[in-house]
Amino acid sequence: MAGFFREVARRVFAQELKDSNLTSRDESDQYAPQYLLTPTGAKVNRIFLVGTLIEKEDIGTDSEYWRGRVSDPTGSFLVYAGQYQPESAQFLSECELPAFVAVVGKASTYTTDDGNVLTSIRPESIQQVDELTRDLWVLETAKETLNRIKGFENEEDPNAKLAKEHYATDTAFYRSIVKKTLESLRENV
Amino acid sequence: MRQIAESIKDRFLKLGIDVPIEDIEERLDELITKFKVPDNEAQRSVVNYFLKKYSIPKNEFYVRQAEPQLIKITDISENGQWANINAKVIQLWENNHESISQVGLLGDETGIIKFTKWKHAELPDLEEGDSYLFRSVVTGEYNDRFQVQLNRNSSAEKLSEPVEVQGGDFTPGPRESELRNIVDLEGDNQWVTVRGKVVQLWENSHESIEQTGLIGDETGVVKFTNWASSELPDMEEGKSYLLKNVVVSEWNGRAQIQLNRGSSIEGLDEDIEVGTSTFTYSGAMVDIQTGSGLIKRCPECKRALVKGACAEHGKVRGEYDLRIKAVLDSGTSTQDALINRELTEELAGISLDGAIAMAADALDPGVVLDRLKQELIGRYYIVSGPKLDRYLLVESIAPQDSLDRELLEAMLAELEVE
Repeated sequence: MAGFFREVARRVFAQELKDSNLTSRDESDQYAPQYLLTPTGAKVNRIFLVGTLIEKEDIGTDSEYWRGRVSDPTGSFLVYAGQYQPESAQFLSECELPAFVAVVGKASTYTTDDGNVLTSIRPESIQQVDELTRDLWVLETAKETLNRIKGFENEEDPNAKLAKEHYATDTAFYRSIVKKTLESLRENV
Repeated sequence: MRQIAESIKDRFLKLGIDVPIEDIEERLDELITKFKVPDNEAQRSVVNYFLKKYSIPKNEFYVRQAEPQLIKITDISENGQWANINAKVIQLWENNHESISQVGLLGDETGIIKFTKWKHAELPDLEEGDSYLFRSVVTGEYNDRFQVQLNRNSSAEKLSEPVEVQGGDFTPGPRESELRNIVDLEGDNQWVTVRGKVVQLWENSHESIEQTGLIGDETGVVKFTNWASSELPDMEEGKSYLLKNVVVSEWNGRAQIQLNRGSSIEGLDEDIEVGTSTFTYSGAMVDIQTGSGLIKRCPECKRALVKGACAEHGKVRGEYDLRIKAVLDSGTSTQDALINRELTEELAGISLDGAIAMAADALDPGVVLDRLKQELIGRYYIVSGPKLDRYLLVESIAPQDSLDRELLEAMLAELEVE
């Protein structure tokens, strides 16, 4: 259907998001959303993640600007909230560490002077959740990632083709990550 | 450019007119060099100029050109090509454009193509199922698909031998479309047959519409439109009918059905019970939208008030209510869900009175919304209920309270194998 539609919040592990550096945007439309293409072919604008908030720091100079580090079984996400994300910034300033948190936000990228691309998340919402929610997210993200890997290997998806050209993805690597997260889940429960 | 000029000169010579080549070149040069007009456009413009100047009717000029080649449908590969084709009229479509006299599909042994016969072509009507030799039709491209147009220079000559059409028997004729449940209807101009009860007839002021309203079966309800041009009998509210060969289309994300000249209406003796289908969706709640939490409704029509005013009844003394407009997200799709007061109270552990007290205490109803977001966003839920527009009207909602161990083991087993 034409017109407005809501971006689906993709499920991606921290390791895969960290490995991503290909952004795309429809240049003909100034309101077009920006997407980050991950190595297994997820086209990420909005993202949903649940993990453990392990660090937080106010790195702002004039006004508050909070950076939070949220870890999942594979690595960690960086979440930045300033004056334009007042609810999230307030959450980070008040929250006690460590805590299970659920983050809905937009993926963004930053290119450093030496050409590295850093990925981070600009939150729309951060809420404290329980351990079960975190486990549900890990299982769901494992499932979504495995589905993407399978689609990638069958070359079903145009996004996967693009990802293959850009990253020359080694799917065995991401399979091993999925396997590790599932094993960690089995041990814990 | 010299070449173009010479070809134009040659063509006029055949009509007995000697146009000075310098004149042609000068006009071409101005268009192509100075005004950056593409060659073929410039050529056409110059030809038209001289036709006018020497008052030669356009069709006389174009008809005198060499007879177009007889080609097969599959060979059509160019925009604006003149062609002769032998083809069978496989389908005539409903046409409501006044400048078009007929539109439909032509087929030969190589393929099928859309045709348009313009009114000004003044050609006799084509019959579905008959084969013709079409002379001097023009090819065109629309939405990446080719079509042919019959214009004033075209002719259609009926053939006694039918043209064989690829795919064999492609006569849609009175072929019956499939009987479908209303809940399964999806837009895309599909022809279907639907059985249902007229739930509502709407007032309709448009002269081209005979009747419009809602029709429902056991699985759901859908809007229907019966066009005046379909010349079908009226239906009565509360009666059940079988509607054959109706077209499903989509508008604003919802399916609707249209009755046209090819459709039929049969009254049924049974009384169909109209039901609604229940959908189940599971996902994480990723947003709670504005208009959620503690709201006021119009006492007359129950609409939510915006800044204390009802869209229909103006400023009214509103009644408090509690509700949630939530967005659930499965990672591959999203679903808007409306959660009513009762379920909201249960889910968030706030009663309506409690919410009113919270808002009064803070002098801000927004605190209720904040509290709901805190309690609910980021958690996984399973909801079920009927769908209305883009919303799922939640009848039951439950948090996902355990990990799917079977899925976990199945995925691990799958990964072990490799």
